[in-house]
Amino acid sequence: MFLIHCPHCQEDRPEIEFAYAGEAHIVRPGPEQQDAMSDAEWSEFMFIRDNVRGEHCERWWHANGCNMFFNAVRNTVSDKFIKTYKIGHKRPSASQIQKWKDAANG
Amino acid sequence: MSSDMKFDQGLTLPEILSGNDLKIMLLPEKVRYSLRIKPSDIAAVNKASGLKLPRKIGGSNLGKDQFVMCLGPDEWFVVANVDARDRLEKIFAKLEKSFTLSITDVSHRNICFGLMGADAVKAVNIGCPLDLSLEHFPVGKVTRTVFESAPIILTRTGEDNFGIECWRSFAPYIRGFFERYATDKAAA
Amino acid sequence: MGEYRKSGKGRVDHSEAVRFSFDGKSYEGLRGDTVASALMANGVHLLGRSFKYHRPRGAVGVGFEEPNALVTVRRGKGRMTPNLRATALEIYNGMEVTSQNRWPNLNFDIGAFNNTFSAFFPAGFYNKTFMWPKSFWDKVYEPFIRNMAGLGPAPTEPDPDVYASTYAHCDVLIVGAGPAGLAAAIAASKKDQRVVLVDENTELGGSLLGATGATIDGKPSEAWLAKTIKDLDKAQNVTVMTRTSAIGFYHDNFVALSERLTDHVPSLKPGQSREKLHRMRAGRVILAQGAIERPLVFNGNDRPGVMLASAAQTYINRYGVGVGKNIACFTAHDSAYQAVFDLADSNIRVAAIVDARKELAADILAQAQSRGIDVITNAVISKTGGKNRIKSIEVYSPDTGTKRQVNCDALLMSGGWTPSLHLWSHSKGSIKWDAATKVYLPDQANENCVCIGACNGDFGIKTALNAGSKAAGGRKSYKVEEADFGQGQIFDQLPNYIAPQKTKAFVDFQNDVTDKDIKLAVREGFKSIEHVKRYTTNGMATDQGKTSNLNALEIASKALGKDAPQVGLTTFRPPYTPTTFGAICGYRTDDLFEVTRKTPIDPWAESQGAVFEPVGIWRRAWYFPKPGEDMHAAVARECKATRDSLGIFDASTLGKIEVVGPDAAKFMNIMYTNPWSKLGVGACRYGLMLREDGYIYDDGVVGRLAEDRFHVTTTTGGAPRVYRHMEDYLQTEFPELEVWLTSTTEQWSVIALNGPNARKLIEPFVEGIDLSPESFPHMAVREGKICGVPTRLFRVSFSGELGFEVNVPAHFGKYVWETLFEAGQKYDITPYGTETMHVLRAEKGFIIVGQDTDGTVTPHDAGMSWIVSKKKKDFVGKRSLQRSDLVAEGRKHLIGLLTDDPNVVLEEGAQIVTDPNQPIPMDMLGHVTSSYWSEALGRSIAMALVRDGFNRMDEELYIPMPGGVNHKAKVVKPMFYDPKGERLNVL
Ligand SMILES: [Zn+2]
Repeated sequence: MFLIHCPHCQEDRPEIEFAYAGEAHIVRPGPEQQDAMSDAEWSEFMFIRDNVRGEHCERWWHANGCNMFFNAVRNTVSDKFIKTYKIGHKRPSASQIQKWKDAANG
Repeated sequence: MSSDMKFDQGLTLPEILSGNDLKIMLLPEKVRYSLRIKPSDIAAVNKASGLKLPRKIGGSNLGKDQFVMCLGPDEWFVVANVDARDRLEKIFAKLEKSFTLSITDVSHRNICFGLMGADAVKAVNIGCPLDLSLEHFPVGKVTRTVFESAPIILTRTGEDNFGIECWRSFAPYIRGFFERYATDKAAA
Repeated sequence: MGEYRKSGKGRVDHSEAVRFSFDGKSYEGLRGDTVASALMANGVHLLGRSFKYHRPRGAVGVGFEEPNALVTVRRGKGRMTPNLRATALEIYNGMEVTSQNRWPNLNFDIGAFNNTFSAFFPAGFYNKTFMWPKSFWDKVYEPFIRNMAGLGPAPTEPDPDVYASTYAHCDVLIVGAGPAGLAAAIAASKKDQRVVLVDENTELGGSLLGATGATIDGKPSEAWLAKTIKDLDKAQNVTVMTRTSAIGFYHDNFVALSERLTDHVPSLKPGQSREKLHRMRAGRVILAQGAIERPLVFNGNDRPGVMLASAAQTYINRYGVGVGKNIACFTAHDSAYQAVFDLADSNIRVAAIVDARKELAADILAQAQSRGIDVITNAVISKTGGKNRIKSIEVYSPDTGTKRQVNCDALLMSGGWTPSLHLWSHSKGSIKWDAATKVYLPDQANENCVCIGACNGDFGIKTALNAGSKAAGGRKSYKVEEADFGQGQIFDQLPNYIAPQKTKAFVDFQNDVTDKDIKLAVREGFKSIEHVKRYTTNGMATDQGKTSNLNALEIASKALGKDAPQVGLTTFRPPYTPTTFGAICGYRTDDLFEVTRKTPIDPWAESQGAVFEPVGIWRRAWYFPKPGEDMHAAVARECKATRDSLGIFDASTLGKIEVVGPDAAKFMNIMYTNPWSKLGVGACRYGLMLREDGYIYDDGVVGRLAEDRFHVTTTTGGAPRVYRHMEDYLQTEFPELEVWLTSTTEQWSVIALNGPNARKLIEPFVEGIDLSPESFPHMAVREGKICGVPTRLFRVSFSGELGFEVNVPAHFGKYVWETLFEAGQKYDITPYGTETMHVLRAEKGFIIVGQDTDGTVTPHDAGMSWIVSKKKKDFVGKRSLQRSDLVAEGRKHLIGLLTDDPNVVLEEGAQIVTDPNQPIPMDMLGHVTSSYWSEALGRSIAMALVRDGFNRMDEELYIPMPGGVNHKAKVVKPMFYDPKGERLNVL
């Protein structure tokens, strides 16, 4: 059972309080955009996900905690969380993720 | 018919366990409100209402007849004695006029267990995965968490005093764990 | 006292005799004995029969690593535990122990014919033989295998014991209380931190319990141990847990600890937990699990009396039991010599030490010679003699070809040491191959965790103590005098002059896997150790290959001509030690196994004899049978009473979410397909919710209580997911909206009253609400009082009758229900359950999400295009509804079905076809989703999802059933009763 650092509660909390919520940084198109999208483009948004081997940006929900959705970078091979951050922050760059990893490794 | 006869929390025994190092009670009728306020308004709301809403998630303020807790970045929970209802509702009516916020009466949604005694930490930990050492869970801390499969709000009002608020239908389940724990203690 | 007991020796209490029975015969042991040590004290080595060949077996080890000596303990009705290791099982007065896997008894076992015919039972035998014909599997092969190949019998009665569980936290968790773990605990105790020390054994000490003679800080090791135990006991910040197995190591230092509380206690107190699971979160984990001695793989190495040298050493030093009177030893490691010396020093005759190595350190040889022990180097054991106990060994010197028989009644063996990496591997710490000692050692940690002492390949007491201190932040350097741990040589295969087909050298004792089986697996093409393991079952027994994995790896890698690391190592998985399901469940059994939510009115329903059904995790009243009624009769009566006069229904489980804020209507517009902006305050509207993919997700009635406040209801099972769905969109896609959500499901008890007399019933109880149809029309909500308590009163109907849903604060729910029920007697008020509710709504063609829809049904498919706004610019699911697939011809549509025979009630889930005589597989058009007997119509009704259903009105379709019956039914609109909705308007 993981400990997950909630960026709102600002503490490590047991995984059992959280729910996974899929890949992060997939923005729902606004109504005008939706109308302009072809079926193929819409399907891409709806159904296609990266399925990353390695660092994955994903969403978690602190359902039995502060009730907030937030984002996390997690390694899908080691399962380790590298960083959690609030919604609204941009998708972290590869170099940013590397910095976080370096910081975590002391 | 008296109000007592109408009121039924579903669990009949007020006391589950009564011993020197652990006492578990079912708390009597309370009023409860969920407050949702924009974080930028807290100072102004506090000034206008005197509610003393804590700013930090997990913080709380225990007053004479009310207990105010911060559960999320824009979420507060107020539990108070029944006779504070009118006073609170007046405050809320006033706030609703001047602020954009949400106040919902959830008095009957929850039931609260009170745990007291040197063994209270152990009793909470049979189902709650949080580290309850004073360093990690100091007096005054509150949080939503779980007790086994039941969502709860855990509050600490003293080194050996805890409250477990849960939705009404989860109360017998939680009480069941306390009963087994009590049997265990008696047999050990 | 048994004849093999050494008076006054060991840590057992020689003043306290304990009587127990083994296979019905009474034995005497001492307080502190295990079943194995007590039996050996009485000269009993034969403890069980092996898994496949039913060969006689005795204890190989002395603790939890034991592969052979599995026994069953019975202690009264329901308390029967099979497969316990006799070597780790404490005796108590009156204990009843039986051996396993033998019939009719242990000394004469019919199953042993497997042994005689063992040439026919090689690796993969079961896989190869029992595969054809298929029909034989259930009736012949499986019963045969189950009878023949067995561990202890599974208990047949429910377990009367209770178990406990808890979460726990500490700063330092130390697993293993040998010298390394003890030194770590002492060092850790001196800091301001919470320390937990766990050990599987009954007492602390680890290897110190079995080996004597060393001094630590000037004291004999026994005295040092006693003082250390006292110090730890005094330390306020240290929790010591014996009889506690660390069974699994999970993410972020979450370690499962299983504590045995009563298995060693002679009399049980009622309510006392048998075991307790501690779900421990540690800041840092120090693994000091030690190492397990490796058996040698030689012909006849499984005869009772053949055991690990360290085990024999522990039997003499800890239990005061000589494993024989005339022992021999076969070794490839120096450490076995100390074991033999300890036995020799207790006046046990040593017939010979056979050492497979060519050369031996001079000082060891000198020590042996000073005791008059005959050491034969560069030799092996080519066979062993004796039936149920070893009687002799044949010593074979491969260089000279000489053979010599040596008589003995016990044989100590040592093939070196295997560091215990189980928990380290659970934690995903990496391992590295140490070519010098031919073992795997811990490499890189994946958690805040460290391996110290023998499990890190660091042998010897001093090394372990210092490593322990250092690991816990101490700097103590212990002064230790001890025998040199020495070194050894690993042999993959020992030479033998006897032809391989006539030998039997066991690698995995518990699963009866021999060296030949492993070689056969390699010959048959298995190249990875994971495959060899599965094919031979090596290491797959309850001991998880603690004594066998590395020998198997050595043999397989030699056969493959590869280095061991290239062949790999099998994966270690929890639990480290076999664990009861009871411990895993802890308190979570019976009514605590999962949550059963009940409404405030549930106790009333129970008192009325309601039959319940689970809906999600709620239990709901299903129907209310009167004496002599079956479900059909009860439901027919409930339906009729409701349509004729008045029914009362507990709808409290409906999900409720309060949506509040200036942007509430805007948010509702996004979440539901229909528009909300113009819904007046005090009005209600049915809402349909889609997922983004366009499929129906949930539905419910929504009331507007104020401009900025909606009372939203959801389906019973859908409440949590709808709340999440709403929060998700609000927080991540529309954070600019000023609106908040509060779950109020349990704030309100909901009493649904349906029937022509519904209004008449409530009228006298309602205050502050004008109930007249003009001011309180259908689909409206008012706030006021009922029975003196606050209410949100909805005029809605899910039955087609005049209906009200009385919402009152939950703790008043039962009171209001009882008051209304009593007053309703004059209208013959009838309580009904979910089944009647389903029938009434089906008569009206209302859908149940999840029954008539299945996650692939669009509003159009369900015949509900009317509820999808054409004007709104956006709502969840809008764009998907335009996808070509979702507007294509030939989708399944929800239609009604009327059977030709009105008495036939179709089966829900039954498939529908046009022509029942077409060849199989038939072209299936869809399936029946809802089907009931309609008392109001005097016939059956059904709803179904049928391909192109809307274009099949009046078409006749068939529903073929098993047994050749083909029901015929006509496609109709799914609206069976009061299509104009006139009954809602009763005055
Ligand atoms: Zn949080």
